[in-house]
Amino acid sequence: MTQQSPETWLNDYGDLLYRYALLRVRSETNAEDLVQETLLSGIQSWEKFSGKSSVSTWLVGILKHKIIDHFRKHRHEFNSQPSDESAEDILAYQFDKQGHWQVNLVEWQTPDSHINQQEFSAAFNHCISRLPQRMADLLFLRSIENVPMQECRDLLGFESDNQLWVTLSRTRVKLRQCLDSNWFERE
Amino acid sequence: MRNCQQIVDLVSQEIDGKLPWKIHLEVKMHLVLCNNCHRYTNQLNFMQSELNNIEQHLNSVVLSEPAKKRIQQSLNLTQSGNSHG
Repeated sequence: MTQQSPETWLNDYGDLLYRYALLRVRSETNAEDLVQETLLSGIQSWEKFSGKSSVSTWLVGILKHKIIDHFRKHRHEFNSQPSDESAEDILAYQFDKQGHWQVNLVEWQTPDSHINQQEFSAAFNHCISRLPQRMADLLFLRSIENVPMQECRDLLGFESDNQLWVTLSRTRVKLRQCLDSNWFERE
Repeated sequence: MRNCQQIVDLVSQEIDGKLPWKIHLEVKMHLVLCNNCHRYTNQLNFMQSELNNIEQHLNSVVLSEPAKKRIQQSLNLTQSGNSHG
């Protein structure tokens, strides 16, 4: 037996779960609901907890499933709104017609001090929040959670693997560009 | 020969999975010769490592008190339901 009991979970892990959910679903209400559902499921399946991982890892695991369910439920919303992903716009700044760089990339100095790190976090969050919704969802589901290709395609309404890869690449181009101008080029 | 724009897509794809070895080699070769693509790759890898720890960038975000209260109430209901059941 572990000494931990579910009564303290909300205080111990509530904020962690909330952050995790909020980043992925981008709505405070939805994120709060997901935390609640996760804790409820956790309490209901507490007997099955093996103690092989920490409680927080175990709860985050439950939350991941809930988030994917959430995407499943809201799937229809994605198919209608990818217009702001226009690849031409994103690439036009960076590449000429022959597909060569139009700009010279500058090596990034990664944030070192604590204050630096905080400012960087703010810039990073800002840039992620400026991504079109489906691009951000794709980045989280595919690149961070490693949700299988087929499932990502279904959840986010991509017609082919190739379309998904290309969109993921555009997402990174866009995120890089934003970080470059909001953080690394400040001086 | 692939151009930089195509290499950029392959670099992105390789972050999430393996490329066929011939293509992998072509990308490697390109990166040796092309400063911009080389830097782009470094920056992408840096972004990816930050993304993998993204929660650390949100340290100041916490559940609001009303939300906590609401969640606590619903948990109490379940737990009292369980212990009497």
